[in-house]
Amino acid sequence: MSDRARNLAWLIVPVIALAIIVVGLWPGDQAETDPEARAYSLATRLKCPICAGESLAGSQTDLAKDLRVLIDDEIAAGSTDQEIIDKFVVNYGEQVLLDPPSTGWGVVLWVVPLGILAAGIVAVLGLRRKDKEPQEVST
Amino acid sequence: MIAAAGYLSILAALVSSVALVVEAIRHSRTPEPDPARLKLPVLGLVIGGVAAFLLLEIGILTHDFSIAYVAKNTALGTPFVFLLAAGWAALQGSVVLWGLMLAVFTWLVWRRLKKGDGLGVLALAIMGAVSIFWFGLMATAANPFALCTEVVNGFCSATSSVPIGDAVAPLDGIGPNPLLANHILMAVHPPLLYVGYVGFTVPFAFAVAALIRSERSMVWLDRTHRWSLVAWVFLTAGILLGAWWSYEVLGWGGYWAWDPVENAALLPWISATAFIHSATVQRRRSMLQAWNYVLVIVTFSLTIFGTFLTRSGVIASVHAFSLSVVGPVLLIFLGVIVFGSFGLFAVRANTVASSPRLDSLSSREGFILLNNLLMTLFGFTIIFGTMYPLLVEAFTGREVSVGRPFFDRVAVPIAFLLLIAIGVGATSPWRVATGKVLWKRTRVGLNVGFVVAALAVLGGIGSVAVVAILGLAGFVIANIIAFYVHQASRSHGGGKPWPSALLSTIRNDMGFWGGQVAHIGLALVAVAIATTSVLAIRTEVPLVVGETAIVDDYCLGYIEPFDRIEPERNVQGARVAILDRSCENTRVVLEPRLHEYPKFGQVIATPQVWTTWIDDVYLTIAAMDENGIRLKVLVFPLQWLLWVGGLTIVAGGVLALGRKSRRPSRTPEAFDERERADV
Repeated sequence: MSDRARNLAWLIVPVIALAIIVVGLWPGDQAETDPEARAYSLATRLKCPICAGESLAGSQTDLAKDLRVLIDDEIAAGSTDQEIIDKFVVNYGEQVLLDPPSTGWGVVLWVVPLGILAAGIVAVLGLRRKDKEPQEVST
Repeated sequence: MIAAAGYLSILAALVSSVALVVEAIRHSRTPEPDPARLKLPVLGLVIGGVAAFLLLEIGILTHDFSIAYVAKNTALGTPFVFLLAAGWAALQGSVVLWGLMLAVFTWLVWRRLKKGDGLGVLALAIMGAVSIFWFGLMATAANPFALCTEVVNGFCSATSSVPIGDAVAPLDGIGPNPLLANHILMAVHPPLLYVGYVGFTVPFAFAVAALIRSERSMVWLDRTHRWSLVAWVFLTAGILLGAWWSYEVLGWGGYWAWDPVENAALLPWISATAFIHSATVQRRRSMLQAWNYVLVIVTFSLTIFGTFLTRSGVIASVHAFSLSVVGPVLLIFLGVIVFGSFGLFAVRANTVASSPRLDSLSSREGFILLNNLLMTLFGFTIIFGTMYPLLVEAFTGREVSVGRPFFDRVAVPIAFLLLIAIGVGATSPWRVATGKVLWKRTRVGLNVGFVVAALAVLGGIGSVAVVAILGLAGFVIANIIAFYVHQASRSHGGGKPWPSALLSTIRNDMGFWGGQVAHIGLALVAVAIATTSVLAIRTEVPLVVGETAIVDDYCLGYIEPFDRIEPERNVQGARVAILDRSCENTRVVLEPRLHEYPKFGQVIATPQVWTTWIDDVYLTIAAMDENGIRLKVLVFPLQWLLWVGGLTIVAGGVLALGRKSRRPSRTPEAFDERERADV
C-alpha cells in the first residue's frame, strides 16, 4: 500500500464514526422542557439573596427552599425562564443574577479577559524565531 | 500555663526567624557561606513552630477553656478527630498550622544546603522573612493563645491577647462549626491544602534569591523542581478532597460551586500547573526564563491572596469564616510580596532574560505555550470574575454577582482547547513537529476518539457536550497509550522482553510519563464533570412509610424514620431502600439524615450516597415530619470517575517525582540528535 493509501485508510473509521455522530445528534440539544430540569437550571443561575455566594440550588436556607418552590409554581403557571428571572430581579435587584447580563458594565467582564487572550497570543507569536526559517528536524 | 508556654513558643519562633534573616543575609555575602552556622535560628524556628502547634493541640485535648480559641472552637462532647482538627479549623489555629509547615519546610531546605551555597543561604533568608510575617501574625492579630477574660452566659465574651494575668474559663466550649465537624475529610483536606500552599514558598524563595544575586543560570529552577512538584501534588490532593467533602456533606450534590474561596484554592493550582509545564521548556530549551520567574512569583502571591480571600471576609463566601483585623494585615503582606518581588524582577529582568526563540509553534514547546496561554487566561478570568462584584460596587455602588454560570461558560471552552492541546502536544517532539510526525502520533487517538464518541451516540447520549468530551478524552488517552507502546516497542526491538521494555520506558523518564498519567487523569475528570453535570437526574419525591417511587432505573422505598442523640447533635433520619426497577430486590438501604446542632440553632441535611459503576444515587432529606418525607433524589452518572481521575492526577504527580534524570541537554545539537532518535 502506498503512503497515501495508508493515510486514507486511517481516515475510514473516523469518517464513519463522524457520520454516526452527526446523524445521531442531528436534532441537537432541544430546549429544556422537563419542568424539574428547568427549575434546577434557573435555581443555579439565581443567587440566594441572603446567602454568602450560594445559588438557590445550592443553599439549604428556608428562604432558598421557598424560592425554589416559587420557581416551581411559576413554571407550572406557564411563565418563561426570562419572565421568572425578571421577577427575581424586580424583587431582589440585579445582584440576584449569578450570570451578569453582558450589557453595560457587564461587557467589561468579557472584554478584559479577551484582551488578556489577545495580549497572550501576541506574546507567544513574538517568541517565534524571526531570523531564519525553521529547521526541519523531525521526519 | 499552656497558653503562656504556647505564646512563648510563638515568640521563640519569631525571634528565630528574625535571627535567621539577619544571619543568612550576612553569611550569604561571605565568599564561602556555611549553612551550618544557621543551625541555631533554624532549629529555634522549628522547635518554636512545633511547640506552638503541639501546645495548642494539648490545650484543645485537655479542654483548657481558659484559652479563648479552645472555648470558641471545641466543646466537651466534640469527638476526638474533630478535636484534633479544631487545631487548624478556625482562623488562629490555621495560622499555627501554616507556621508549623513553613518552619518544617525551612528546616528541610536547610538540611540539604552544602557549604558555599550562597543561593541556598539567601533563599533561607527569604523563607525566614516569610516566617517573620506568619509568626508575627500569631503574636499579634491572630494570637491562638489569647486568654478568656470574661464569661457571659457560659460563652467567652472578652479576651486578652497577652497570655498573662487572670483568665476565666467557661464550663464548656461552643464547639466547632457544625459543617466542619460533620465529616472526617474536614480533618484531612485543610492540612493537605496547606502543605501545597506553604510548599510554594520554597521555589519562590529560590527565585527571589536568584534574582537578588542576578544569577543567569537555571540552578534555582533545577533545585526547586521537586519542591514545586511536591507542593503541586498536595495542592491537587487538597482540592480533590475539598470537592469530595463538599459532595459528601453539603447535600446539594455538587462538588464545585465556583465559590470565591474555591477559586482561591484553584488559582495557585492553575499558575503552578502552568509553571511546571513552562519549567520543562526552560530545562529542555532554555526558553521562558523570565516567564518562569513571573509564574513562581504569581503562584506564591496567589497562595497569600487565597488566604486573604478566605480569612478577610472581603468577599461573601460560604468559606469566609471570620471577619477580623487579619484581613488588612494579609493585604499589606500581599502588597509587599507583589510589589517587592515584581519590582525586583523589573530591575533584574534584563540580566536574567534569555533566550533561544521558538522554532515553530507546532512543537512540544509550542503546545506548552498554548497550555500556558490558556492557564493564564483561565486564572486571570477567575480572578477578575471573583473580584468583579467588588470593583463594580467600588466604582458604581451597584451590587452585582458573578457566579457559577459565568465561570462555567469560561471554563468549558478552555477545557476543550486544553484537551486538544494535550492530545496533540503531549506526544509531539520538541523544536519542530512536522505535519507528518503529528499525524503519525495522533492518528490512533483520532480513531479511538471518534469511535468512542460514536459509541456514546449509539448508546443514547444526546448531549453534544458530553459526546465531544468523551471523544476528546478517548483521543487524549489513546494517543498517550499509543505513544507509550511505540516507545516501549523500540526498547523491545532492542532486545528487551515486553514486560521490562514497558517498565524501563517509564523508569527512564518518570518526569515525562508521570505527566502523561496526570494528563490521563485530567481527561477522566473532564468526562466525569461532563456526565455528572449534564446527564444528572434531579428530582424530589414525597414518600410515606411503606410507599415506593420510581426514579430513573431505581425504585425507592421509605422503610422507616429513626432518631438518635449523638454528642453535640441530634440526628433524625430516614431509612430508604433502593430496589431495582421492579421494586422487588433490595440493592441497598441508605440513611439520609438531618443533623441538628442545638448550640448553633442549625439543622444540616446530611446526604447519603450509593455508588455503583454506572452512577451514584444521592439521597438528601428535603423535609420530614410525622407523615412522611420529601426526599431529594439525585443520580450522577460516572461520579466515581471524578475521584478516580483526580487520584490519577495525584498519582501522576507522585510518579513524576521519581524523575530519573534524562539530564537536560544544554546544546541545541544534542536536542537535534535526541529528537531524530525520538521519531
